[in-house]
Amino acid sequence: MSRMSQISVSVFHFLRKHREFRTFGFLIALFVIVGIFNASYLTPDNMENSVRSSVVYIIMATGMTFVLLTGNIDISVGGVLGLSAAVSATIVRNGGSIVTAFVAVIVIGLIIGLLNGLGVSVLKIQSFILTLGMNEVLRVVQVIFQGGRNVEGLPTSFQRITQHEILGVSTLSIVVILLVIGIHLFLSMNRKGRYFAAIGDKEEGAVLAGIPVKRYKIYAFMMSSVCAAIAGLIFASRIGNNIPTTAGLGYEMTVIAACVLGGVSLAGGVGSVLGATIGAIFMTSISSALVFLKVDAFWKDVISGSLLILIVVFDMLLIHRNNQKAKKQRLNARVLEIRKEM
Amino acid sequence: MDGHRQLVNLENIMKSFNQNAVLKGVSLEINESEVISIIGGNGAGKSTLMKILTGVYKPDSGTIRIGGEIVESYNPHVAHVKGIYLVPQEPVLFPNMTIEQNLGIGHPGKLKKSELRAKAKQLMEQLEWNLDLNRMASSLSIAEQQQVEIIKGLLRDVKVLILDEPTSSLTFAETEKLFRIIEKLKANGVGIFYITHRLDEVFQISTHAVILRDGKVTLKGDIREFTKDMLIQGLLPIDSEKKGKFSFVKRRVNRVKEEPVLQVRGLSGDGFRDISFDVYRGEVVGLAGLVGAGRTEIAEAIYGITKPYSGQVLLNGKDITRLSVRETIDQGLAYIPEDRFLNGIFSITSITNNVTAQIIRNDRFFLNRKLERTVTDEYVSKLRIKIVDQEDEIRSLSGGNQQKVVISRILATKPQLIIMDEPTRGIDAAARSDIYNIIGQLRDEGYSILLISSDLEEIELICDRIYAIYRGRCNVCLEADEIDVTNVMKAAFGTYEGV
Amino acid sequence: MQRLMKNTLRSSRWNLFLVLILILELVIFGQMNDRFLRVDTLLNSFDNFAGIAIIAFFVTFVIITGGIDISGGSIVGLASVITGILYQVAGWNIWLAAAAAIIASGLCGLLNGLLIAYVGVQAMIITLGSMLLFKGLAILLFGLSGVSVAEGISKFPTEFTDLAHIKLFGVIPMYLAVFAVMLLISYLLLHRTRYGRYIYLIGINPNTARYSGINTKRIIASTYVLSGFAAGISGVLLTSYLWSARAEFGETYLMPMLTAVVLGGTLITGGKGGVIGTALASIIVGFLQLGLQLGGVQSQYTGLAVGLLLIVSVVVLGVSGMNLRIKGVLNVKKDRGGNQNA
Repeated sequence: MSRMSQISVSVFHFLRKHREFRTFGFLIALFVIVGIFNASYLTPDNMENSVRSSVVYIIMATGMTFVLLTGNIDISVGGVLGLSAAVSATIVRNGGSIVTAFVAVIVIGLIIGLLNGLGVSVLKIQSFILTLGMNEVLRVVQVIFQGGRNVEGLPTSFQRITQHEILGVSTLSIVVILLVIGIHLFLSMNRKGRYFAAIGDKEEGAVLAGIPVKRYKIYAFMMSSVCAAIAGLIFASRIGNNIPTTAGLGYEMTVIAACVLGGVSLAGGVGSVLGATIGAIFMTSISSALVFLKVDAFWKDVISGSLLILIVVFDMLLIHRNNQKAKKQRLNARVLEIRKEM
Repeated sequence: MDGHRQLVNLENIMKSFNQNAVLKGVSLEINESEVISIIGGNGAGKSTLMKILTGVYKPDSGTIRIGGEIVESYNPHVAHVKGIYLVPQEPVLFPNMTIEQNLGIGHPGKLKKSELRAKAKQLMEQLEWNLDLNRMASSLSIAEQQQVEIIKGLLRDVKVLILDEPTSSLTFAETEKLFRIIEKLKANGVGIFYITHRLDEVFQISTHAVILRDGKVTLKGDIREFTKDMLIQGLLPIDSEKKGKFSFVKRRVNRVKEEPVLQVRGLSGDGFRDISFDVYRGEVVGLAGLVGAGRTEIAEAIYGITKPYSGQVLLNGKDITRLSVRETIDQGLAYIPEDRFLNGIFSITSITNNVTAQIIRNDRFFLNRKLERTVTDEYVSKLRIKIVDQEDEIRSLSGGNQQKVVISRILATKPQLIIMDEPTRGIDAAARSDIYNIIGQLRDEGYSILLISSDLEEIELICDRIYAIYRGRCNVCLEADEIDVTNVMKAAFGTYEGV
Repeated sequence: MQRLMKNTLRSSRWNLFLVLILILELVIFGQMNDRFLRVDTLLNSFDNFAGIAIIAFFVTFVIITGGIDISGGSIVGLASVITGILYQVAGWNIWLAAAAAIIASGLCGLLNGLLIAYVGVQAMIITLGSMLLFKGLAILLFGLSGVSVAEGISKFPTEFTDLAHIKLFGVIPMYLAVFAVMLLISYLLLHRTRYGRYIYLIGINPNTARYSGINTKRIIASTYVLSGFAAGISGVLLTSYLWSARAEFGETYLMPMLTAVVLGGTLITGGKGGVIGTALASIIVGFLQLGLQLGGVQSQYTGLAVGLLLIVSVVVLGVSGMNLRIKGVLNVKKDRGGNQNA
């Protein structure tokens, strides 16, 4: 009996520490449930497909995680994605190489990230409002850049970068997953990588520990924008032709939702890119699962929205309970015990 | 002193915040293998001094020498490099990181992870502390968090270690182990500043004692030359500097004839146990004690902010235990919270809105602006609040006037009993005596007042009766004729044994 | 300069400043195009922004308490779909259907309010999740109702579709009338009642409010309910105005709505602001769009101006607000004087 409870306690602690496993559990549950109804959902092909179709979200969620870890938010990623899709597609159409397009996109990401980061860390503007405005501005800049028309006439070579396969597995997916693992290791193992989470966890503690807080906040926003910009290039290559002016519209909310589902806390300090990645795969898998379940697609937002709310409410209740307990302990530790009572 | 090498020397350090002098020329030095206990009441300047020592604050004047050299530009980073480390009283851990990550972050040396682990393990073995390095900081109890903070300090090859009330949440056994570590560090030549309120500990581990009072060192020397009473004496003010010319005639209420306004019976809750006391009509009763003794927790449980475990609170004979704040206010209770800026004022709104925040409840739906202005005028003149315009924001006022506005707010509700928690903190001397006058005036008008104060001289000065709270317990009641500074001080430090 | 900024922050002066901007707008756009200054053009332009403004009035309440509500746009769509389905599919009386939709919107707000005030989750996270959820619910209801997407819900009776097009006394458009009525209600509530005063006091200092016996949770929750109701009214009006019910109504409301609140001088950190400022700012934004459109700028570009307006106002107000904050922090330090442990 007590052994059982001991195990359950340690499982509980493990899940608290590695919140990405919780999402992973959701993901497996999703696959199993759908698999029961439709076995073809469990084929390796379909699983590979799930990852492949979430690559854009995975990249954006990875960047977003940096910002969320510091306790901020970046709404402008949808706009960055759109603009960089437009710019990269235009460069390639006009005969530029993919490398040029890549460099241009990175520069766009760096500049926008720098602007966001400076606004938040130096001018102390709420990141939500600032990046919301930035998103709108970028959207219009994209429309102006495209002249209000779709970007057409792209060479087929542009599509190839996202279509390349090794042994039937998308090369891009492999590269992205490897990069995510690398970044995960950096954020969790590297001394400096942990600074991001430290800032969001307890900013005063970060200052005391000598972490350059402002600089790392700027890095986080740059990381987020650069990731969104790269996602934009991939997005454009995926579509292949006729890049619309609405590219990436509303993506920001999906990405944030993916991060939260993946165990990244909007309050800062908690989460991992691995979790965010699983969250992103989960978000896209819901859509495909509905298809396999022959359930109408209109269930999707209700499912992800209520799951999101359930998770944050559950987490908050847990945190609340812990805080209450800690406060109680702290106060009672001071009390002089007259009798030694247990 | 002992021929050991000098580690740090502070000379004539002065520091003031907003014209409020906190340190008035403090000199202090520590040599290798010394454990210097720093003792002082609240607001004596201990924490400011330690923050200067660790580079968090810059002194206004005075010199800091580390290892004999004068340090010019000093900051927390330099302090770390020079081997000066403060273990804060309230742990500042990153809650969502493991213990190991907490130990490693910001560590100045290029310690490898495995080395860090090994070293931490070794330290824990010596301390007989059993902490799993992989646990999250948020899952630790407060004592464990403090252990982590202490290990964090010990990991750094410190030369000077500052421990700020390290035992405040450790058990007796844990404390003993900590003392053994301190002995060991001492043997290795580390100098330790040990801040504490517990006089027993001072004699147990320190080599020297320093008493800070009112921003000055009043007593300093080898511990072997001191007794407990001498330390208490050092904490007391010199007669001539007693608070102003203010005189308060102490009252003795005839407690046989009258019913108490407030009766607290065996109240227990988070941070206090089995508290009983009475407050009678027209009486100022003090709750004396040190910060963290549990006084604010008691007041909040009475007022309805928190719920007590057991016990009873009666107001005019009516049971008000576990009522909500709104209900206790309706019953005639009023509370002036201790941290004015955090809990007492609505900073960015007008004086009027602050005064009327509680009485607008009586308006039916729409606000009666005219009445609000009249009420504000009434209290502005009654309490002589210095304002330019009622519509000015309250933060444009001085601390003393802000506090008077807060007093106006609760007086407007016509309370039976007023609990004042540290009403004069952060207020200059003139405003302070104004507040004392107001308290006297209120008492004469028949209000009952429960005064919580860490300023033992203040409590000695204006209270008719004093209950002392020491570590969550209330064992001492001083009657009017027993009240003097020495007794109050002893009671607050838990060493009063009656007459 | 700082002093000037600080003083302008005192609400009435900021409102004066907004009036000046409005006059400037009238003069400049009037010069550019003489159609702009015609009374009926200006009055009719309320059709385009009053729906956003009425939500913004009550989001102002929310923001003054120190929260935020970004779910309003989704509630607009949900209210529209509920009205349509109850009328067309369930066969309810149209006015009953509209009333039910508005009540449901209030319940949406209540869900937000309860989770934010009583569970204590950040307002941003909850309303982000509920934004997804409410929009999902709208899509779901639409889908479940069996109405084909191509056809949509559009067979409303003329007495309903005329509602938003009525001109009171032959000149005042319905939207303007609703704008005025909602402004009056929100003004009275916020500035003339005890309830409104409590909203400010809670936003300035929730601790002091609690110590003063104010039921902070109930009042915070109620502001989200009001904001939900307002969004519901806006949704019903839009349904009437556009003769159809659609889930994506209100999708683009978020940015202009928050711009109106922030430009209106309400501190995003709470405690200060007012609905007059929000009303003026929403008129400024509305006229700006109108002026640009009459000046030949395509409507898809006007978002740039609004986005920039949001960023500029948040920078200007944020920088002057920062001085307040720094001062506040210093005061805390001084007052607390090493008493963090009590």
